Amino acid sequence: MPDRHVFDLIVEHTREVIPELDGRPFELSDSLHDLGANSIDRAEIIMMTLESLSVRIPLVELANAKNIGELADLIHGKSA
Amino acid sequence: MASPPDVRDVVVTGLGVTTAVGQGKDDFIAALLDGRHAFGFLQRQGRRPPAGSAGGTAVFLGAEMGEPTLPESIAARTVRTASLSAKVAMTTLDEAWREAGLDDADPSRIGLVIGGSNVQQRELTLLHARYADRSEFLRPTYGMGFMDSDLCGFCTEQFPIRGFAHTLGGASASGLLAVLQAVRAVQSGQVDVCIALGALMDLSYWECLGFQAMGAMGSHRWADAPAEACRPFDRNHDGFIFGEACAAVVVERAGGRRHPTPYARFRGGGTAMDGTRNPHPSLEGEVAVVEAALREAGMSASAVDYVNPHGTGSSIGDAIELQALARCGLAHARINATKSITGHGLSAAGAVEVVATLLQMREQKLHPTRNLVDPLDETFPWVREKAEDYSFRTAVSLSMGFGGISSAICLERC
Repeated sequence: MPDRHVFDLIVEHTREVIPELDGRPFELSDSLHDLGANSIDRAEIIMMTLESLSVRIPLVELANAKNIGELADLIHGKSA
Repeated sequence: MASPPDVRDVVVTGLGVTTAVGQGKDDFIAALLDGRHAFGFLQRQGRRPPAGSAGGTAVFLGAEMGEPTLPESIAARTVRTASLSAKVAMTTLDEAWREAGLDDADPSRIGLVIGGSNVQQRELTLLHARYADRSEFLRPTYGMGFMDSDLCGFCTEQFPIRGFAHTLGGASASGLLAVLQAVRAVQSGQVDVCIALGALMDLSYWECLGFQAMGAMGSHRWADAPAEACRPFDRNHDGFIFGEACAAVVVERAGGRRHPTPYARFRGGGTAMDGTRNPHPSLEGEVAVVEAALREAGMSASAVDYVNPHGTGSSIGDAIELQALARCGLAHARINATKSITGHGLSAAGAVEVVATLLQMREQKLHPTRNLVDPLDETFPWVREKAEDYSFRTAVSLSMGFGGISSAICLERC
């Protein structure tokens, strides 16, 4: 089970970058791409999340996450 | 057999404008004719030096616009990362686009020239300060957003412009140079319709300090009286006063498609370089561009009814410009100073003043010149305290920029 705090931050920033998603429930299995994020949006969402956590992780190390759950896992794992 | 259309016959079919004295043409022309200004102390975040930093407690004078009312067609997602310059560009372009009815035009035959370079300085300064001690979190969008051409990206994503789009930098002449470049793009056959946009130059306190240090930006003399500081062509001027602005001008081949009744026909233009990187004006350069514009127009100076000058309030620049106008035989033409009301929009100014010229032409009225109490030259037929009715067909507008750039345009009512 991914870290809830990291997941919530990803959701918060995804809503900020893609305001059209406001009010939509998010699942761990949602992919940012399928939610309508292009590659710059995705990088933006991840950077905002890292900034919120004050965790420095090269974006390239997060490139393989297929969905928000995996992304939260990776970020949580690397920031531990 | 019908004769082929004259590709050099270019008309203006749409205008958009956003300034501190009004958003949209109706507000803008009303403010101009009323002489209604918005000068004060610059308040926008990033326009005052941080306490204890370079510049200390410097406060600058100028006119700032309210939050622009964005067209509903611009998605919140687009707005989030748009700079003020980009938001105002899209808003201003929208007005001109709708007026010209460009949804009916072939996107591949529409071009866009955005006048201005380094126009987003204030937002960049704020970003640099915000990330100074945590640069590893710099937002990825900075990598594209710092470039002025990002405005081209925003505008062409929002509007179906597929011919070409690029920026054009020419300091304070950028706006007029963009209009002239748009005209040439239509005349050459590159596109059928071209939009020139004078971008909002969003100064940070650094640029204000620099302009002030070089003696270009006023005002020491009127430091406590912002309403009186902006006074082009008045003996008590002491430099330009900044005014946020943006304007869009749609030009197209006459009769190329069903278009609204044009504001005016392009008659001639001129550009010249003085061979200096310095900010000084040049009598020869200014004379040359007016003469070039009239030569292309095939008009004598005596046929010019109205002059919209560069007129910034600069001590040397105002005097040189009047000398140039006199030498060109334009001392008879009615004249006012749009910057006395709007302030100096820098990259936007030339486009704003083409819009001001054409709105006055449509109204057949000339706006007053604020603070023109003691003119440098009394013999010019100034429009002073009040707007005046004036029946006129032809106009010349000038724009000059640091680095020895002079430019002029000649327009005639259709």
